[in-house]
Amino acid sequence: MSLNFMMNLVWISAMIVFLPWCAFALEDRPYVNDLKAPENRKDLEALQNAVSSALPKARAATVCIEIKDGSGSGVIISADGLILTAAHVATGVKQKVTVILEDGTRLKAETLGLVADSDAAMIQITEKGTYPFVEIDRTDSTRLGDWVFALGHSGGYDKDRGAVLRLGRLVRIAGTTFQSDCMLIGGDSGGPLFDLTGKLVGIHSRVGQQMQVNMHVPMAEFVSHWDGMRNAEFIGEGPYAEKPKKGNGFLGLATEPGAAGGLKVTKVGRKSPAEAAGIKEGDVLFKMNGVALKDRGQMQDLLEEMSAGNEVTLETERGGKPKTFSLALGER
Amino acid sequence: MNANILASLISLVSLLPTLAQQSLDSAYRTTGTAVVAAFDPQRQVLQRSSAVILNGRQELCYGIVISADGHILTKASEILGSSTWDVTVDATKYPDAKLLMTDPTWDVALLKIEAKDLQPVVYAPTSDVPPGTWVVANGATTRTTRRLLAGIVSAKIREIPPAGGAALGVILKTKSKSLEIEDLSEKSGAKEAGLQKGDILLTIEGRKVKKLEDIATILKDRKAGSTVKIVYRRGEKELSADVRLASRSEMFTDQMNRNDQMSGEFSNHRSGFPRVMQHDILGAASVVGGPLLDLDGRCLGMNIARANRAESFAIPVEDLKTLAERMMAESTR
Repeated sequence: MSLNFMMNLVWISAMIVFLPWCAFALEDRPYVNDLKAPENRKDLEALQNAVSSALPKARAATVCIEIKDGSGSGVIISADGLILTAAHVATGVKQKVTVILEDGTRLKAETLGLVADSDAAMIQITEKGTYPFVEIDRTDSTRLGDWVFALGHSGGYDKDRGAVLRLGRLVRIAGTTFQSDCMLIGGDSGGPLFDLTGKLVGIHSRVGQQMQVNMHVPMAEFVSHWDGMRNAEFIGEGPYAEKPKKGNGFLGLATEPGAAGGLKVTKVGRKSPAEAAGIKEGDVLFKMNGVALKDRGQMQDLLEEMSAGNEVTLETERGGKPKTFSLALGER
Repeated sequence: MNANILASLISLVSLLPTLAQQSLDSAYRTTGTAVVAAFDPQRQVLQRSSAVILNGRQELCYGIVISADGHILTKASEILGSSTWDVTVDATKYPDAKLLMTDPTWDVALLKIEAKDLQPVVYAPTSDVPPGTWVVANGATTRTTRRLLAGIVSAKIREIPPAGGAALGVILKTKSKSLEIEDLSEKSGAKEAGLQKGDILLTIEGRKVKKLEDIATILKDRKAGSTVKIVYRRGEKELSADVRLASRSEMFTDQMNRNDQMSGEFSNHRSGFPRVMQHDILGAASVVGGPLLDLDGRCLGMNIARANRAESFAIPVEDLKTLAERMMAESTR
């Protein structure tokens, strides 16, 4: 992390020279963005018209994400259902979540990777389909003072209400944070911030004590961690997601070497994940997650590499008949 | 390593504006003076046709001028904690407004001031305007000048069902087979209706009440926002009152959820409306009761609740117009 930061510093001096390079004018950039403030009815209507023409597509791609204890928002960015959201909404990698589209359709999805120190995350809809999506601003074209609009399922999904729309300006740019005066609240987290052309420029992250402080993760942060997130990596150390601790998983059984190979269960812990899954004393374990079990030390090593909440498949025999158990590791 | 350098480069681009310019001057923010200046024609409508409701020097909320001779609509629950009201329209202060009537369903009160030649609001033809449409409402005010805040329509028109169960908002003690009021919640309908400590409840909706279970049975299927007729005894006198049932979440604000905690001020009465439009003008909680204007300066509705940090509600113009006509007719009968 600190190495990365150092490199940024080094590169800043090298890049300043190229500044004019970045200041190209975008053809579809609405003129109101280049006014210090709208001055008259024509300017106000230009703003209003830009929002209403961008809105239908933006709204269709905005989703509610249901997680264990609550809900957040997200936005679909590809026809096959890749979603950008906040790390504190995804909470971890490879977690099962439910995605709700604007019309109420509920879809199964799984969290991919996340960046724990900037609050960026990806989710993939796992049901096959063609989904409405928005384009993302890959060129970091948003400037301080640009008009933006926010969508999100404030306080949770509400079909009669729909996703809530708010208009504001980009009022501060600092490091990996955009600040706007689009007012956010719980449930908006992970939802999209759009520019006036309907391009995705940020993901809602958090609010400040003061009412006008609303923070978003800029697209640049997603772009710079794209491959890692797609590969379901847990990037960074927090604070927006807690890294699962390796080796804190707990199965709840004791074994001894089996007479004909494998590991024979000698004891099943009361109220343990093993007991809940139906494993009984005398069962012989042959494979864990497809890996043949040779001795107790090797099984312990495999468990050390996993964390609480990870799925475990155990192939066993009971009275000579094969039996397969699936369970999630408990927390030790 | 190459990938790492690339990654740094990309994140660097986002750092560049930081070096040049970090923060937008407050005048150019959405609620800033420079932006708000673009709405001067609409501000002039607020100047003439919105009202400031005051108790002494304290601003309670805003109101809508609906007749040339001084009928003002406002948010009932914001003014009923006081018993006298002065009203400012434009730069003129009108003392001692009369409370003609209230409508508990919409939480609207009709006030009358001694005035003439006021300019009532002009109603917009419909509240069915697309999301993203500009709207304008009262912001802060000075003694003589109305200020404004602007925002946009942000969600579909819908009902806001009452939050929490309906309750009278009183603590009762059983005293020789009768129910005596031991305490009243500050935000309760019972307090608004003038009930006091020591009053003995006799009947609710014509049914005798002698023990707490009797009340629970009567209120079980009633909605917050509706009213019940209560007959009670104070000393030797038998009195009656129409008491608004408030929602529990409205009266007991210690039952705030996480979103409430981050919302700063919000309206106490913010649920239980038959229909609302939603917008993103989010001033102080007292910025309710006034008109919601479109860019033509026409009245799209009445601001009825700042629900939370991100959501404000207004009574849609169709409902407001019907309500205004009915209240005017009933109050002159």
